[in-house]
Amino acid sequence: MNGNNNVIFENVSRFYGEVLGVNRVNLSIPPGITSLVGPNGSGKTTLMNLMTGLIRPTHGCITILGIAPTDPQKLFRLVGYSTQFDSFPKGLTGFEFILSFLKFFGYSSATSTVLASKAIAQAGLTDAAHRKIAAYSKGMRQRIKLAQAIAHDPKVLVLDEPLNGLDPLVRTETIALFRRWADEGRHVIVSSHVLHEVDLISDRVILLAGGYVMAEGQIHGVRTEIQEHPMQILIRCDRPGALAARVFEQDHVVAAQILPDGGLLVQTRDADSFYRQLNHLALENIRIEGVAPADDNVNSVYQYLVGGEEASK
Amino acid sequence: MNTSHWAQILAIVRLEIWKTFFSRRGLWIYLFALAPVLLFTANSIYAPREQARLAAIAKSHSVSLADLTAITRGMSSSVVVAKLGEPYEQHVWRHRADHGRFFEHDVYNYTDGKSDFTFHFFNGILRRIERSDPQSLPENLLVFATIFRFYFLRLAVFFGCVGIFTNLFRGEMLDKSLHFYLLTPVRREVLLAGKFLAGLLATVVIFTASAALQWEAMLWQFPHAAVAAYFAGPSAAHLPTYLGVTALACAAYGSVFLCAGLLFRNPIVPAAVILLWESANLFLPATLQKLGVIYYLQSLCPLAAAPDSSMPAALTLLISAAPAASVPVALSCLILFTLAVLAYSAIRSRTLEINYSTD
Repeated sequence: MNGNNNVIFENVSRFYGEVLGVNRVNLSIPPGITSLVGPNGSGKTTLMNLMTGLIRPTHGCITILGIAPTDPQKLFRLVGYSTQFDSFPKGLTGFEFILSFLKFFGYSSATSTVLASKAIAQAGLTDAAHRKIAAYSKGMRQRIKLAQAIAHDPKVLVLDEPLNGLDPLVRTETIALFRRWADEGRHVIVSSHVLHEVDLISDRVILLAGGYVMAEGQIHGVRTEIQEHPMQILIRCDRPGALAARVFEQDHVVAAQILPDGGLLVQTRDADSFYRQLNHLALENIRIEGVAPADDNVNSVYQYLVGGEEASK
Repeated sequence: MNTSHWAQILAIVRLEIWKTFFSRRGLWIYLFALAPVLLFTANSIYAPREQARLAAIAKSHSVSLADLTAITRGMSSSVVVAKLGEPYEQHVWRHRADHGRFFEHDVYNYTDGKSDFTFHFFNGILRRIERSDPQSLPENLLVFATIFRFYFLRLAVFFGCVGIFTNLFRGEMLDKSLHFYLLTPVRREVLLAGKFLAGLLATVVIFTASAALQWEAMLWQFPHAAVAAYFAGPSAAHLPTYLGVTALACAAYGSVFLCAGLLFRNPIVPAAVILLWESANLFLPATLQKLGVIYYLQSLCPLAAAPDSSMPAALTLLISAAPAASVPVALSCLILFTLAVLAYSAIRSRTLEINYSTD
């Protein structure tokens, strides 16, 4: 893939005086949904602010589809950013807010009106569009920020905790919207500290802790690379006891546990070998009904990488 | 600058102007601007009424101006009454002096129908004479010039610019809403220009309107024909000049406080330092005086607020200023200064960051 089509961080560090924001970040983010995952203070917002030019790196270089964040004229025709800041220009309705934002893009009044209406409709705020933002609920404020980020039809969407404050129905609709944008070939970069949510929406994750990138890539790939924690695999079969005895014959299997519901939880240091071996076992009168990784999710990966205490924050 | 930049500037001005004019934080600016209007209006209401009152008194207590000016200190109250007749108003006080003794303080008022004389007698001897003459147009113009230089420019416009221009960036930092501008395809220099123009428009409207209203309120008490005759000549340029000086003051101080709002977390500190420097300007050597905005603004004022004999010595000291700069020099210096500060602010704005948690 052409590097110019990616969001690229090259050895980027950012310090706030003596305090570390992010350190030595090297990333190349392709189109699709990419989640920045980490607890509060891990550097998610700092990375987002860096890529949108709201703050500047102390060291290193950032390009968004080949454009530097120091060039807002070009950058913000390609990028839309929904920040975590929950404050708005005073006295405006939702519609006026989006309309005034679009005026800076040089659109005519008619075009601005159409784009603003479309963005507000996509964010599901049409009924409240002409109410003052000051009277909006937290969820509505979140959605008007989303509308502002998408109003000019950007190729790169940077969304800081975009699902915060949304009710379950709107959450589902919003996730579907992210999926659609990603399928259209856009970059959708979201931050979240709700790990199970990230599993649902992400094509790839960037795990952050203490200002460092701990791991990045597709969640399965990241999990496979963590060698010191055995992979957990849940197997459903008709004879779990017999299967447990058989799998223990393999050197890379470190534990096997029969669960109360009849499932067999196996821990192995070599998942690929285990899966190959399982195919042979399936031929030996043990009927395998289902096999699934038990810890191949962001929450487990994050706990393995940064420790259970921090991941639970 | 191309047309899209101008369109963006216009969009910024539209967004900013409403909150600049009607910000609750800025209500005091209107009070500062309109205080002299109230003063001149009150005077214009009072002065003709006072003249009518004195004219009415003169009909029943007629005294000539020559007789009134012939009264000198040291005369006894009985001599004064013998020469002028009974006063139209008289007050008597008993004051406690040293060693438990008392002295009498008599106050007699006379008028010829135009001027009001107040004679103060202590134990029957005239010690002090106060004379109040009808107000003249040149006198009022001098009062206007003094208020314009020493209150309007130095305090009202100065603090008005502090309030409006520092808020353009710093106020939005405090409200955590500045990032919305920084998420648009607007160059930081264009943002700065838009905000400056919005602030300039607001301050120029508020303060030139105030100066024009002060002027009208001052002239209100004088007959229209007398005013028209006075301003038929070179004096016709007085009001436009005052308005121009006001606009230049808004631009020069505005650029400084816009820059302060951009650079300092608490712009009140640099504002206080600049106020001190501008106030100390009168006491500085002539060369150093030229390093203050106020020196060039005052150089452009049509009337010098020259001290007269009745002014207190301290005020006379304040008013002694360096020779005024010529109009082209003063204009050039103010415009160049404003542009230089704006250019510096534009450079600094390129590295402006959103970091609300530390602001």
